[in-house]
Amino acid sequence: MTTVSPAPSRRGRVTARNTLLGWSFLLPNFVGFAVLTMVPVVLLFYYAFTTWDIFGGAEWSGLDNARQMMHDSSFWTAVKNTVYYTVFHIPLTLVASLGLAVLLNKRLRAVAFFRTVAFFPYIASIVAVAQVWNMLFSPGYGPVNAILRAVGVDNPPGWTTSADWSMPAVILVGTWREMGYFMLIFLAGLQTVPGELYEAARVDGANAWQRLRAVTLPCLRPTTFFVVVMLTINSFKVLDLILVMTNGGPGQSTLVLAQYVYRKGFEENQFGYASAVSVVLFLLCFLVTMVQFVVNRRREA
Amino acid sequence: MKRSIAAVLGAVTALSLTLTGCGSGDDEGGADGKTTLTLAGWSLATTPEFKVLADGFHAANPDLTVELKEYDPKNYDTQMIADLAAGKAPDVYVQKTLKNFYTYQNGKQLLDVSDVASGLGSTTNGLSAYQVEGKTYAIPYRQDSWVIYYNRALFDQAKVKYPDASWTWDDYAAAGKQLTTGLKAAGSKALGIYEHTWQSTLQGFALAQTPGADLNSGNFGYLKPYYTRAVDLQKAGAQVGLGDATTNNLTYQAQFGKQQAAMMTMGTWYIATLLSQQKSGDADKFEWGIAPAPQLDKSTTGLSATPVTFADPTGMGINPKINKDKIDTAKKFLAYVGSADAAKALAGIGITPANTDAAADTIFAIPGVPTDAVSKFAFTKHDTKPENPVGKYTAPLQNILNDLHTGVLSGTTDIDTAIAQAQDKAKNEVLNK
Repeated sequence: MTTVSPAPSRRGRVTARNTLLGWSFLLPNFVGFAVLTMVPVVLLFYYAFTTWDIFGGAEWSGLDNARQMMHDSSFWTAVKNTVYYTVFHIPLTLVASLGLAVLLNKRLRAVAFFRTVAFFPYIASIVAVAQVWNMLFSPGYGPVNAILRAVGVDNPPGWTTSADWSMPAVILVGTWREMGYFMLIFLAGLQTVPGELYEAARVDGANAWQRLRAVTLPCLRPTTFFVVVMLTINSFKVLDLILVMTNGGPGQSTLVLAQYVYRKGFEENQFGYASAVSVVLFLLCFLVTMVQFVVNRRREA
Repeated sequence: MKRSIAAVLGAVTALSLTLTGCGSGDDEGGADGKTTLTLAGWSLATTPEFKVLADGFHAANPDLTVELKEYDPKNYDTQMIADLAAGKAPDVYVQKTLKNFYTYQNGKQLLDVSDVASGLGSTTNGLSAYQVEGKTYAIPYRQDSWVIYYNRALFDQAKVKYPDASWTWDDYAAAGKQLTTGLKAAGSKALGIYEHTWQSTLQGFALAQTPGADLNSGNFGYLKPYYTRAVDLQKAGAQVGLGDATTNNLTYQAQFGKQQAAMMTMGTWYIATLLSQQKSGDADKFEWGIAPAPQLDKSTTGLSATPVTFADPTGMGINPKINKDKIDTAKKFLAYVGSADAAKALAGIGITPANTDAAADTIFAIPGVPTDAVSKFAFTKHDTKPENPVGKYTAPLQNILNDLHTGVLSGTTDIDTAIAQAQDKAKNEVLNK
């Protein structure tokens, strides 16, 4: 470490020292990332091809796990439910957050208050949120059904206690929870839309709807793309909400892939199979995101 | 300047070492004849049983000490598995749930303690749950069993006779309906029955009581009468529906303790809870009693028969990575854990030990515990079968059956379809995979 060799030029020493300093500042993060994220992720791909029940070694079993997955109806139910959640959650959240952002981008009285209120669900504890929503949705005593009955719905749905309505209930809460966060991103995006464009549109006689379609949406394309990608990933890996609201039930009506991984791994100690399922989850996310990137690039071109 | 770089590098090295979790091993048995064992436990502040056992053992053997190592109750098995795999687990550890016993035993994480088991009397319940191919791998220290808890005041109000030892499930359901109408007539809002949301409230009894029922067979037809009765009770309004219980996070402690229901089936662990909650005011003060669990048919009812019920034992086993010199001490500790002395000590804090005969006098001497003949009979006499028979497929099969439980009780699937689906899944995803 110390200087033994004849001193090189002063500038070289400074550069070397700065590089070393820079690296040493980065190192803690790199080491943490490598040890806690990279290594487990790489190992996961290996474990996906083994039978591993935590004790004893992971025995290589080739494509056995994949074959098992083909005949595993619970796995397919989980895939279907994950897609169900994603297909509804993305457009709903997108529209809701964009709508909120456009509304709250105006100079209203107490606009900061409303923005805070819309953002609130995102920072509230998910466990508390799920408990409260569960009570609101309670079929016999919950206020949601009380209101529905009051407006003349004779047989209001059973929400989280009925197989047909549990997924819609979870999607609703998921949308309510995430729209505030994406609203914030859209609000930031809206600041970049030049005011002249709106003025020009107004001069041309465009009404509010036309201004939204012809000015706001095209200018927001990069933001929208980011939001859609984030929403896709968030929807595919939804776990916490399901776990605390329905725990996959009733029956398997809200069982999603991430929860299936948890069940197989940590409840049934089949870590090999759980790894294989999580690889499928990864591939699903990866494929859909790639498609979105390609489509986006084509549109830009 | 150079010094500062060295300092940064030093800090970084230290940090990365902490990050990779390079802790060094510690503790060894003393050479002066004093030995210290380590024992795993959870929630030490609110779960006094580990300390009672450790202190009792130390009092009997002054040069042997048991040190407790605390784990998180919710993630106990996950943490224990990680510690065992890393070689950092305590010398003696608890089998918190029987469901995971197979994982430990099959993974060779338990020493053979058959010699300790053979030294215990035949009054120790639950020992057979820890035996695989003739060898014993853990010693049970507590063995609860499910009984009926009933509220005398509410029974009187509804003018229904207290449960004696003669009830079948049909008697139980009929009494539940009678209680509900009787209580309503008397102006009370309480229902006849509360069944908690767990799958075991129905499946545990069905598996234990039906002749020939076998979880690992993949045939679940034995569940049908139990579910038909429960669905009927829900429809009749004699018990809270599963959906209302889960969405409102009902707790069985509040449902029974706050007199929302006249009776419920629950494990004997609730005796201690109910006593302390009545003292603290978390539960109302009322006269209660326990009675044997309802039976499948009349052949096991009556004070001269042995009622069949269920519950998993809790046992302790020895970590195979234990220091060789300490194995004898660990076995000595396990022998103490299964002994009558330990049973009395545990009963003193309201816990149902595996050796119930030795503990009955202690339990019934606690003020507030019902001392009528039926309650005493229910506490001491029963054939308690495991909820989770030890086997490779128990955990995945129980998950499939939990889906059946929520599906049927929420009214989503009728019981025949649900059983057919569960059998298909069991066959394709678990048994023949």
